[in-house]
Amino acid sequence: MIEYFSKVFRGAWATVAGMMVTLKYMVKPSVTVHYPTEKLVPFERFRGALLFDPGTCISCNLCVKACPSTCITLENATIPDPKNPAIKKKVAKVDWYTIDFGKCNFCRLCEESCPTKPKSVWHSLDYEVVFFSRDEMVRCWKAGTKFVGQYWDRKEKAFKDPEGQIQIQDVQARR
Amino acid sequence: MSEPAKEKEAVPAATPANVVPAGAAAAPAAAAGTVAPKPAPKAAAKPLPTPVFNERHGKLILNSRYWPTELWKSPWSLPSYRKGALVLFGLIAGILLTGAAVGELSRWADKLYALIAAFVAARHWPAVTTDAVWDLIKILIVLHVVLINGLWAIWWERKISAHIQSRVGPTYAGGWHGWAQTLLDGVKLLLKEDITPTAADKWVHALAPAIVVAPVIIAFAPVTFGKQLAAANLDMGVLYIFAFAGISVIGVIMAGWASGNKYSLLGGLRASAQLVSYELPRGFSIVPVLMFAGSLNLSTIADAQAGYWHGLPRWFIFYPVIGPLAFVIFLIASVAETNRTPFDIPEAESELVSGFHTEYSGMKWSIFFLAEYGYVLLASFLLATFFLGGGASPFAFDHVIPSWIWMLGKAMLMMFTFLWIRWTFPRLRADQLMDFNWKFLLPWSFANIAFAGLFLLFR
Repeated sequence: MIEYFSKVFRGAWATVAGMMVTLKYMVKPSVTVHYPTEKLVPFERFRGALLFDPGTCISCNLCVKACPSTCITLENATIPDPKNPAIKKKVAKVDWYTIDFGKCNFCRLCEESCPTKPKSVWHSLDYEVVFFSRDEMVRCWKAGTKFVGQYWDRKEKAFKDPEGQIQIQDVQARR
Repeated sequence: MSEPAKEKEAVPAATPANVVPAGAAAAPAAAAGTVAPKPAPKAAAKPLPTPVFNERHGKLILNSRYWPTELWKSPWSLPSYRKGALVLFGLIAGILLTGAAVGELSRWADKLYALIAAFVAARHWPAVTTDAVWDLIKILIVLHVVLINGLWAIWWERKISAHIQSRVGPTYAGGWHGWAQTLLDGVKLLLKEDITPTAADKWVHALAPAIVVAPVIIAFAPVTFGKQLAAANLDMGVLYIFAFAGISVIGVIMAGWASGNKYSLLGGLRASAQLVSYELPRGFSIVPVLMFAGSLNLSTIADAQAGYWHGLPRWFIFYPVIGPLAFVIFLIASVAETNRTPFDIPEAESELVSGFHTEYSGMKWSIFFLAEYGYVLLASFLLATFFLGGGASPFAFDHVIPSWIWMLGKAMLMMFTFLWIRWTFPRLRADQLMDFNWKFLLPWSFANIAFAGLFLLFR
């Protein structure tokens, strides 16, 4: 008899306790981040989309060699040799630089290998690396291009700014 | 190299408060290195730029919310939380004030009836017309109670469930807390394809939703919404409601059988077993109420609970032992009758897809939902009438707020309890469900009748 009533009491108590838990959680503020209108900024060491600064780059090819997925390509800038204008002479500047985000595995090896200070290629905090076409995956930089770079639209034969991922990189830490 | 300069202009310099704490610690300036190709000096750690608020890309949450549960430490410090509490308080106060301003609805109903009678008399129409029009109005009101309740209850359930799970629920539709979500869902359901499976028994399949939903609307006839505020003042109101509410089981079994699907059939069989079983304790648990009130009329039952014991209202739930026990049994059996979560084995998603309404789509499917929420509202009103004194005020000093506001408030409290139970408990197994009913609820509802008899004998 006592066992029966204690069982009933324990069951009822557990039920009420469970309901109190849900009631408590109901009056707590919701943890939802309303994503398109609110965005969390990731931590400092987050490896987001790569940014590149064509002004700092010395075109040393270390990032190209460091990249395990061979997604980086670059070409040296050249000037004509003053003695023999037919010969083009390499300078420590980059002519063009591309990163294929379709291949990139966000490992930070390129940034670590970069000898310039501040880094010429670095991970931003941008996690919105989303593409509508394969063209958009290949970011291209030339002298004067913004850090985010541009992509080559093969249909329209024009360089275009990437869409929808230009905010979070503004607050990133560049070493 | 003009680009970086432009970038700099567009991004205003940050105040230290807006700087990302993690970034500020290690970083030399983000924008500084762009102009000079020479290595930037280490010491020149400029503050990071504040991101510009941008309609398109939204706003960034910078130093406040690295991990959203940190909000729980001091919710009242959040402006949105305080605003929400204020809005909730304002809504309740507004409803109470509106109620006080409108007064008893039965007074307005009498006026409307007199108006119709005068109109009919002026036109020299037969006197029956008055009652016919009056009944039509009452029927329409009762019908719309069920329909509008569907809209309200589904939205509320989604909100409550979301907040119990620390989400926000519908937010965008309609603007304010997604109030138009169910309306738009209704439009969507109307536009959806209405599929009848080839294996289905066409007529029975089409008829089942109607048989499920019609008894709910009919059963609302004797429900009192306040003092003198019932569509039909039936002397056997309780019996009438229970009789009609029992008919829906047939619709559920029809739906399960006619769908031509093993899951639906199993769901229908389980539903019949469960609903028929839980009818018993549900009926027996209110026998003590009927014994105390001495009537099956819902208005009489509500009126029997008027008055106060030294400030405590003489509601049936406050009767020692008998009241709470009857209340709990009736509540549990009502939850089981509506096939809601702790007792939702007829539509168990994880085992039976969704039970008897697996093969229903579009409007037929939504009619099942309408019936479910109609039964929730019916049970809420019955709980309020039987155990919470109907339209009686909980305060002895209150003579301002009319009975229909109290009735509505109590019914909504009970409906909240339904939603609360739904989103707290996991599903019972079929054998546990039957054990609980036959070995616990039913014996205790019998015992409760005996207690009530003893109470009446020695009172």
